[in-house]
Amino acid sequence: MGILSLLIFLPLFVTLLILVLPESAGRMYKYLALGITVIQLGISLYLYQVFDVSSAGINQVNGYQFVEQLPWIRMDLGSIGLLEIDYFVGVDGISLPLIVLSTLVMLMAIGASWNMTKSGKGYYALLMLLNTAVVGIFSALDFFLFYVFYEVMLLPLYFLIGIWGGERREYAAIKFFIYTLLGSVFMLLVIVGLYFSVVNPATGAHTFNMLLMMDPGNYTPDSFFAYANTYHNVLGLEPRLIGFIILFFAFAIKVPIVPLHTWLPDAHVEAPTPVSIILAGVLLKIGGYGIIRVCYSIFPDMAALTNWWIALIGVVSILYGALNALAQKDLKRMIAYSSVSHMGFVLLGIASLTAEGVSGAMFQMISHGFLSAALFFLVGVIYDRVHDRYIYNFRGLASLMPKYTAYVAIAFFASLGLPGFSAFIGEAFVIIGAFNAESMATGLPRWMAIGGSLGILLSAAYFLWTLQRMFFGQTRLFGGQAWQSALTDLSAREQIVLFPALALALLLGIAPSLIFNNLNSSVLQLIDLIKPFL
Amino acid sequence: MNLSIANILDEIIASVPLLKPELLLIAGFIICIFCALFLQKWWKDSAFAACLATTVVLIYALVEQLGLSATGFSNMWLVDPVGTYARLMIAVSTLIIAIFIQQRYRAHNGDVYSVLLAATLGMNVLAATTNWLLAFIGIEIVSIASYVLVGFFADSKKQAEAAMKYALFGSVCAAVMLYGLSLIYGLTGDLDFRSAQHLQGLMTSPQAMVTIAFLFVFVGIGFKLSFVPFHIWSPDVYQGAPTPVTAFLSTIPKVAALILFMRLYKAWSAGGFYFSDLMVWFMITVAIVTMLVGNLAALRQNDVKRMMAYSSIGHTGFLLMSISAYQDTSSYILFYIFAYVVTNLAAFIFIDHIEQRTGTTELTGYAGLGKKMPLLFVCFTVVAVSLIGLPPTIGFVGKLMIFSAVFDLYGDTQATALVLLLIVGVLTSVISLFFYFRIPLYAFLRNADRQYMEHRGSAILPLLAYVLTALIIFFGLFPDLLLRMLG
Repeated sequence: MGILSLLIFLPLFVTLLILVLPESAGRMYKYLALGITVIQLGISLYLYQVFDVSSAGINQVNGYQFVEQLPWIRMDLGSIGLLEIDYFVGVDGISLPLIVLSTLVMLMAIGASWNMTKSGKGYYALLMLLNTAVVGIFSALDFFLFYVFYEVMLLPLYFLIGIWGGERREYAAIKFFIYTLLGSVFMLLVIVGLYFSVVNPATGAHTFNMLLMMDPGNYTPDSFFAYANTYHNVLGLEPRLIGFIILFFAFAIKVPIVPLHTWLPDAHVEAPTPVSIILAGVLLKIGGYGIIRVCYSIFPDMAALTNWWIALIGVVSILYGALNALAQKDLKRMIAYSSVSHMGFVLLGIASLTAEGVSGAMFQMISHGFLSAALFFLVGVIYDRVHDRYIYNFRGLASLMPKYTAYVAIAFFASLGLPGFSAFIGEAFVIIGAFNAESMATGLPRWMAIGGSLGILLSAAYFLWTLQRMFFGQTRLFGGQAWQSALTDLSAREQIVLFPALALALLLGIAPSLIFNNLNSSVLQLIDLIKPFL
Repeated sequence: MNLSIANILDEIIASVPLLKPELLLIAGFIICIFCALFLQKWWKDSAFAACLATTVVLIYALVEQLGLSATGFSNMWLVDPVGTYARLMIAVSTLIIAIFIQQRYRAHNGDVYSVLLAATLGMNVLAATTNWLLAFIGIEIVSIASYVLVGFFADSKKQAEAAMKYALFGSVCAAVMLYGLSLIYGLTGDLDFRSAQHLQGLMTSPQAMVTIAFLFVFVGIGFKLSFVPFHIWSPDVYQGAPTPVTAFLSTIPKVAALILFMRLYKAWSAGGFYFSDLMVWFMITVAIVTMLVGNLAALRQNDVKRMMAYSSIGHTGFLLMSISAYQDTSSYILFYIFAYVVTNLAAFIFIDHIEQRTGTTELTGYAGLGKKMPLLFVCFTVVAVSLIGLPPTIGFVGKLMIFSAVFDLYGDTQATALVLLLIVGVLTSVISLFFYFRIPLYAFLRNADRQYMEHRGSAILPLLAYVLTALIIFFGLFPDLLLRMLG
């Protein structure tokens, strides 16, 4: 078993262990989960350390590192052909930073669930299962394997939101499940279509191997998804365009884009704090990752064709999300909408098809990953204490909880894109990329970059306004004296969870090359892949 | 017919070995009756033991027939790998159903096992013939045995009503089918639907007559498979019948009828004649409508058994979809049938066990039970996941293979209807999420609002269902092991 498989399946092993342990060992669960996520973070940091930054990945198998490829399913289906499915995992500059991010966020989530009391056995078992699925998604290079992890991820989330969530948890859980499933079942049809269109040149069998799907030479002429195939047109649309759109929507639901974002505020608000952290910190990134890994790499021609529209969706998400955040009265909802806005930058950056834009998008994903995790954790702090998070119910918290206020202020400033913090780097690169797109002839008009900058302005507005409303001025609380005594300042545990995330925001803001170095060759490779079709 | 008597006798004698499993069944049937009549006084479980022994010997005899392809009794009897695998699945399921009945109805022991064996005989006939006469006899044996089973344990008005409805609806369908068969025989003069003379006859007959005859025949098959619009009996009967019998009805007879239908489809849709087109269009339309009706109607059900009835209608639609893509490999159809049977049996055992322990089959009654029976409901959730068709379960692989087959056919034919079939298949999977997930929703997400008298259930049955659940995941992860066996 290779080191990557170890990273993927360690949590699954813990899931089984937790399930076998008797209920009397209840206190063990969280220590087990904590221990294993620490080990995971260690392994992923080690991988990050030894990662060879010069090899590119994307569509070349020898550019991937820590590759493991084992034949998994070989089924002879007669006239349908030989089904070739591999257990095929590996990482490149796109996936490795996200794996490190997800192990870090997972650790924060465990830290946030430390005081959770309701049926710990199921909770930690599901959390670890989710952990396996997430790392699996980021490492899978076989589409079948990817799909299996992708769907396995949904089940624990459904139960995590549904059992441990807030008042409207049933509604939020099933809404989240339906949205994602709707995207993914259609994705399954495209996967089947791709499978019939691509032949493994080595064996002559159809294959689910994603890297082989990225090479135009492997498509059988006249197959459904063959390049420049107009013979199979459905409703006057080229099959490749249809496939691209379906896959894009499957992942765009996760990102999420406006107007497919409506599951997100519900899921975030109803989910318990640790699950909100994972949702915002990792799961939204699966959308962005899927667009890069699957949509753009397998359908580079369509990526070049549609990038104007995708950038438009990005700009709309940035502005619409920000305006919505401005209007929210529930703190958690406001942060949920700010996620929509910030993830819009990812889309704009990817669609710019410039090296700056795509690197900026990746950087934005990483930065938003731990910053939104920190923000949701901060919301969880006051919700734990008084079970309320209505913005107007709080005023002048600064004098009551000075440390908390300091952390919130840093997190808010970091998120709104203050120079010196990571979000600034990400957003700035996206805007630069989008601005340069016109001179690089990738087809994005300059006004989209301006639209994006407007989003930064709006995010400053809603973050600062919230800061002013809740933390400054005379202390006045809705719950009166009871709240005043309940609202104690941050505990040591809470600071331990928060400090690394905010320190990282500062560190990456000052030394962005820590991320960019690992990204660079993969991003350039992706641009090279798409360039011929522009 | 210029064969001399001697030749005919020779052929019959030569064909007898092909009939060995069925002869064993007949013997077992008689022994079961004997046990129920005479041995019951001394040994309560004698009929059950005889039934078990018969199915075990039957499985052995069928395993011996694997790989054999032959016809006997002047082409009346057909033994081929597909049919043998189907009969094996039928035999194993019968074994499980027999244990299921024995565990649940200890007091009633006796004749029920002989009826069960008779039903198995009928299903074996269906899975091993291409002759209309035998097919009709097979359908009738299964139907009559099923009527008896549904009414056998009737102690309430509801159960008696279910049996009555079933018998009435079934006899009407059988009569219509028989009429259709007589028309077909009149038009072609041959009862073997694969023979050249049969196809020739169909080609030269008036279109209107053939169409009517087809539709009449499909009424009979539709009744057994319960596809739309001949599905209306199934929710009432499923709900009213005792759960072990519902488990039986929803799985095994469908396997047999499906094999027959698959052979018929292969034979009739192959040529480029108008009735081939008719058959293809009929198939695709019925598949789409059945999937939609089954899954949409299931959304509104509150009784789990009734919901499972509609779910099984939806799955029938899926099975029809798989048949419509049937060209020359049947392994994926067998795989889906296997997945369907295993998941449904597990689901019904769980439903029954919950009914036995808490006395409810209402979904609302499941509220909060997840805490009381965690293992059972975790496994039940896995079963639900497999029924939806999500990885990593056997249901997902089954669906994936059917999608692949349909897509492959689309690549060859460019028929837009197939795209529609795929889209409906995918959409109904999403719809089915709503109702299947109401099981874990109530069990885990809701809290119990009332207290139940806790009864102790059987210990063997859940164990059996856990084994089936393990199979669901195991073959979901390593489907090639199963497929290699079926291939």
